[in-house]
Amino acid sequence: MSLREKSDEELSKLLSEYGIKHGPIVDSTRKLYEKKLEKAMEDAPVEVPSPDKTFYREEAEEVTYITYHHSPVRQEVYSDGVKRRGNAEPDEEEEPVQYTEPPVQISKRTANHSAAPGIKEPKRESGCSVWKGVRLLLLLAVLAAALYYAYCRVVNNEEDPFGIQ
Amino acid sequence: MSTTSQKHRDFVGEPMGDKSVTSLSGIGEILGKKLEQQGFDKAYVVLGQFLLLKKDSEMFSEWLKDASGANSRQAGSCSQCLTEWCDAFL
Repeated sequence: MSLREKSDEELSKLLSEYGIKHGPIVDSTRKLYEKKLEKAMEDAPVEVPSPDKTFYREEAEEVTYITYHHSPVRQEVYSDGVKRRGNAEPDEEEEPVQYTEPPVQISKRTANHSAAPGIKEPKRESGCSVWKGVRLLLLLAVLAAALYYAYCRVVNNEEDPFGIQ
Repeated sequence: MSTTSQKHRDFVGEPMGDKSVTSLSGIGEILGKKLEQQGFDKAYVVLGQFLLLKKDSEMFSEWLKDASGANSRQAGSCSQCLTEWCDAFL
């Protein structure tokens, strides 16, 4: 983290990131700004929040989201079809899209690791096992969705054959 | 800093023109010499630095302490005199 080696532009960018108002960085002002920036960095050592951080957060949300509402869907598929239809259907429509995503995200993740291996090592392991479980769940969910669709169709056809084209 | 010196009033009262760095309030012979050695021979060169720091008195004081070895009172006096000069003539 040697500020001395950074270019004037980089220094200026860093100053802006830390919310330090500054004028032009020239020979006579540079040392001052280096000092000020150093102090700011000590006070708030969080360096530039990287984009992968948000990526991981998203991933975690996705995981809980999926595991959370799949088991109920699976268990109650046949119990109350009409009621569930409203909220179950949009979910099932989303899932095939997510299902195609995992391979892409995994490769992305490994790419991130080679770039910055330090912090994210443990996350990757737990992520792998979680993803395995998620994949299984997704598979089951898709199966359940298919059965559910078939079931709905049969029920609706019996009651109102013109309701569905 | 509520009372100002004669030197301060003299400096703030007119355009600085070609005045030497020692005409700045807070800058005496010794500090003036140190500044001259670094190329700050005229008051307007110091003003230039003050402006580069966007008239930030705190930053300017810090710089002056670093560059000339001024104490806080001297640095504060100098930056106040430049602030007031800018208010009047810039």
